[in-house]
Amino acid sequence: MKVILKLFGKDSDLSVLSVITVCTFVVLILILGDKFFSLNNLQSLAYQIPEFGFLALAMMLAMLTGGIDLSIVTNACLSGIIGAYFLTGAVFPLNSPAATSAAIVIAVITILAISIICGTLNGILIAKFSVPPILATLGTMILFSGIGMAITSGKGVVGFPEAFMKFGSGSVLNIPYIFILFVLAVIVMSILLSRTRFGKKIYLFGENFTALRFTGVNTERLIIAVYTIAGFLAGFAGIIIISRVNSARVGYGDTYLLQAILVAVLGGVDPYGGRGRIAGVMLGMCILQILQSAFTLFSFTPYTKRLVWGFILLLVMIINFIIEKRRTSAPKAAIKA
Amino acid sequence: MVMYSYLGQEAVTRLNQQACKSARDFLREVPRVEIFIEVHSVSGKYLQIPEGRLSILMDRTIVSANNITKSFVSVRALDNVSVSINRGEIRCLAGENGSGKSTFVKVVAGVLAPDSGEIVVNNNSYPKLTPIGAINEGIQVIYQDLSLFPHMTVAENIAMNKMVAVHKRLVNWDEVYRVAEEQLELIGHLLDLKAQVGTLSVGNRQIVAICRALSLNAKVLFMDEPTTALTQKEIDRLLSIVMDLKAKGLSIIFISHKLNEIFEVADYITIFRDGKKVGDFENKALDKKSLTYHMTGREVEYPRYRRVSNDDLPLLEVRNLTRNGNYKNISFKLQKGDILGITGIRGSGRSELALSLFGLNPPNSGEILVKGRPFNIKIPDDAVNQGIVLMPEDRQTEGLFLKKSLKENISSTILDRIKTKAGFIDRKKQEEIAAGSVKKLKIRTQSVDTLVRNLSGGNQQKTVLAKWVATGPELFILDSPTVGVDIGSKAEIYELIHRFASEGMGIILISDELEEILANCNKVLVMYAGEILEILTEKDLDKPDVGEHILAVMSRSRIVDSAEKFKNGEAIPR
Amino acid sequence: MKVRSLTRMEKYLLAIIAVYSVVVTIANPAFLTFETLLDMVRAASGTLILASGVLVVLISGGIDVSFTAIAIIGGYVSVRLMLSTGINSLLFASAISCLIGLACGLINALIIHCFHLPTLIATLGTSSVFYGVMTTFMGTKGVNASQMPSSMVDFGGCQLFVIPAKSGTTYGLTVFIIPVVIILIVTWFILYRTMLGRGIFALGNSEEAANRAGFNLLNIRLFIYSFMGVVAGIMGIVYVSEVRWVNPIALVGTELSIIASVVIGGAKLSGGEGTIFGTILGVLIIKLLNSTLVFLGLSSSWNDFFIGIILIASVAVTSYQARLKNRRDLIFTE
Repeated sequence: MKVILKLFGKDSDLSVLSVITVCTFVVLILILGDKFFSLNNLQSLAYQIPEFGFLALAMMLAMLTGGIDLSIVTNACLSGIIGAYFLTGAVFPLNSPAATSAAIVIAVITILAISIICGTLNGILIAKFSVPPILATLGTMILFSGIGMAITSGKGVVGFPEAFMKFGSGSVLNIPYIFILFVLAVIVMSILLSRTRFGKKIYLFGENFTALRFTGVNTERLIIAVYTIAGFLAGFAGIIIISRVNSARVGYGDTYLLQAILVAVLGGVDPYGGRGRIAGVMLGMCILQILQSAFTLFSFTPYTKRLVWGFILLLVMIINFIIEKRRTSAPKAAIKA
Repeated sequence: MVMYSYLGQEAVTRLNQQACKSARDFLREVPRVEIFIEVHSVSGKYLQIPEGRLSILMDRTIVSANNITKSFVSVRALDNVSVSINRGEIRCLAGENGSGKSTFVKVVAGVLAPDSGEIVVNNNSYPKLTPIGAINEGIQVIYQDLSLFPHMTVAENIAMNKMVAVHKRLVNWDEVYRVAEEQLELIGHLLDLKAQVGTLSVGNRQIVAICRALSLNAKVLFMDEPTTALTQKEIDRLLSIVMDLKAKGLSIIFISHKLNEIFEVADYITIFRDGKKVGDFENKALDKKSLTYHMTGREVEYPRYRRVSNDDLPLLEVRNLTRNGNYKNISFKLQKGDILGITGIRGSGRSELALSLFGLNPPNSGEILVKGRPFNIKIPDDAVNQGIVLMPEDRQTEGLFLKKSLKENISSTILDRIKTKAGFIDRKKQEEIAAGSVKKLKIRTQSVDTLVRNLSGGNQQKTVLAKWVATGPELFILDSPTVGVDIGSKAEIYELIHRFASEGMGIILISDELEEILANCNKVLVMYAGEILEILTEKDLDKPDVGEHILAVMSRSRIVDSAEKFKNGEAIPR
Repeated sequence: MKVRSLTRMEKYLLAIIAVYSVVVTIANPAFLTFETLLDMVRAASGTLILASGVLVVLISGGIDVSFTAIAIIGGYVSVRLMLSTGINSLLFASAISCLIGLACGLINALIIHCFHLPTLIATLGTSSVFYGVMTTFMGTKGVNASQMPSSMVDFGGCQLFVIPAKSGTTYGLTVFIIPVVIILIVTWFILYRTMLGRGIFALGNSEEAANRAGFNLLNIRLFIYSFMGVVAGIMGIVYVSEVRWVNPIALVGTELSIIASVVIGGAKLSGGEGTIFGTILGVLIIKLLNSTLVFLGLSSSWNDFFIGIILIASVAVTSYQARLKNRRDLIFTE
């Protein structure tokens, strides 16, 4: 109990967020009751979360360094598209179970490899050319989408083998494979950020990259690594996306970009960098997904959903502002002139 | 008044200036003078001035802040402070960090409202001012960051405040250029009106800031630490401008901690200490020692450093190091236990040299040998691996993570050394090292989790020291380590430097404060315009007039005489 | 009006456009015709109108991503109102659209100013809110060509002059050029001839310094975002007139590309810099690539690819140059 209190005490955003989550939960339980907690509903939640979750993790990583990665969605799509060609038998025919397995393995590796390359491109532009992250990733976002369009001419790549589809829709003990994968990723990222030197350096970079440079840390390598990992996570998102919709095409997931930023900010990530925890982002995601499925149950249109999200985003930021203002107007440690 | 509205603002200003000139001598003796102007009929198409007499009242005192008290939560920043600013004088506000001088300026400029007291300007008494109100009364402040618009032209920056104050909707570019040109002419320095301010040197930017302040008919000009970022030439230029403004009747108040400059330029020195005014002194009534005494309330003597180590192996040797545009042919040797001072005015290449030794400014040619072996230091990582560390000039942007805790700052340099077997960060070790550093360096803080931005300047600087000491460096380069640090912490930091050197570290101390160099170094390099002009050994530093000699070399004035005289052991005239 | 010298960015862009035009003409002489030019004008009109607003916002140091939402809301709502009230007047439609734009812009400004929110995220939020409010209250039924009010259809088809083409059809200079030119001139005037405009530049340079100089930041922000809103409203009308049907889910999603074209034109995201001519060139390049790659035999699927390349290349070059300069001057805080 004490540990939990200590956890919350340190980070006021986290506590505000948890309160909101709990409230939303409670309200929904009261209104929806059994319908919400049905196995069906929870399971469908568990299927929907990972796709977006990987993207949110990627966005969070970039934002911790004070930057942003606008290219994660098109990265995922592009990687998915290229990998999909192996799955449809366009590269080599899938006329035996061995060939199919090989194709799946090659496809997965290719997707991850492409996504890593894309992420590294971002990192190089930002670290070696000093391009502001928003511009660099805006450019690569358009570039990746462009490559995808050029390759597919807008048509989707369809026709994946059964075995691959099973990954996207299969489960063990009623828990989907992809959800387990996602939880693993969350645990790894969490440890990476809070317990390793690499993670420490990321937070320090976001707080003051000049000072970090003066500390002797190779900041260029650090940034390239960060955006590469972000790309890597986007690659996972790509795999999950194509295994869920059984096709790969440009333009899927356009709305995810803004949602990812939303979720990160909601989760306490400071857009200027240096602050933010996985736990917060996860809470933010939970709130969003819960609302999302609640809306479906209420039959809200996708636009009304966006309305609520936009409203919540503004509300949270305004509340943060008010809290911060109250905190600094009564200074405890007087700053001498 | 009828006459004023027909003559226009410029004529009034000129009239005021002339009146000032005539009145100044009188004002030395009496507090108020009335000037009568006889007007004979003047006629012109638009001019109609009635014949008769015009009188202008001139007071000696322009602004008088009386009994100002200001508190922040638990700290009394100003305690019943009264200061009068007279016409045509140059006054310096001196005092340590936290003494209240900056708060005082903010109160007079209308940025802060005092808890009690009054500000009297132009015979109007105000319990408090607003920024616009202060500007309207002729009070202008040039802050350290100058508050300019880097992507806009010189002309715009100068004329901007005036344009806004006049409330016009449309921009009259001809007017803008005219106002800017006028101000520049008044100052006597010409700049390209169409140049973008961001491309100008710091000195020229300051000129733009001064012009802007003057464009609104400033009567009192406050300048906060104006010479911090200037080269010697620019400092000279600034001081001549200040003298010129004084002759025109303006009063200039500057905040400075550079004792040499204070004595060179100020007519009066107002000393603050712990929120109270210690007193107003005439320049000639004070000297460095008494000034320091009033500022700190105690006699401060810094013990000299003497090298004790026996190990003469050169830790660092630099041969003919050159970086185009920064420095040329730098050669020197540094041994264990040496505290090598590198001094020179800004722009002499000293900080650039330090950055090169740390890998942030790779040299074009020359050699760096660490413990006898040559190394290429291309990035800070290389330097740190060799045991060379740097405490940078600007601790807030380059040295510290302000929003992080003491503990995190101290461990930021040793992240690779505090890992557990599993490769993660050893939290316990982190805590231990931080606590140890706090104790060793006497950092005053409630806990190692305090955010660094809440620490005082001295303690922040000690944190930067601790951060690097934790790595066990061989060579520690300190660039201006006591800027903005109170005298108490200063002494403690010097003590620490002596201790580190005695324990075998090699130290390079870069500073332009003579006292600091003399107290701490056993060897000194004097740089000017990128070259080493002179190397002073421990024996040289023992000679009596070494301080004056160094000053002379630094500013390259009378260098030939003083060098000869110095070598002969003769006294050097000031 | 004095003609100033071109900025470096503008020179690069002109060079790129020139080279590109030459290359394409060599590949396919049909490119360099009057018809192509007039088509381009029509294609670029809407974007140019929006880009003017975006330029003003960028110069002030902010980013607004809600303008496409405002534009389509303005267009859609005015058409629906026209249909339901029976008023068939272009003026009516424009007035409604601009009013909506104004209201949205004011809301943007107030939220950004009073709560000190970062502009990107704030407008992200308001974009969703505006859009959501519209779709919730007015639904998402499209309005197809046959239902469109005639005044708008006429507006869309109206041309300033007409030239018969070889194939028997005619082509001409779209009347959209009029609002485009007017808005560009007004934007230019505001930015370079009014104190308000100088205030916008000042704000983009340094908010603190602008405040100390006495600028009323609230007023400036209110203006900037309402200007963006009104301009977006105008574009909304132009857009629906041009495509002659209204699908409320169109346009949204293109905001980042429009911001990209203004950035290519030389405006800095950090604020304080940007020119009208540069913006025109930036939009022109994007539209050029979008519409004329067909002359090179490339399908439209290649558009984004080239745009991405150009954007990356231009920002990489300018950023790298700035980086070299900073390194030389030993500035480590960039």
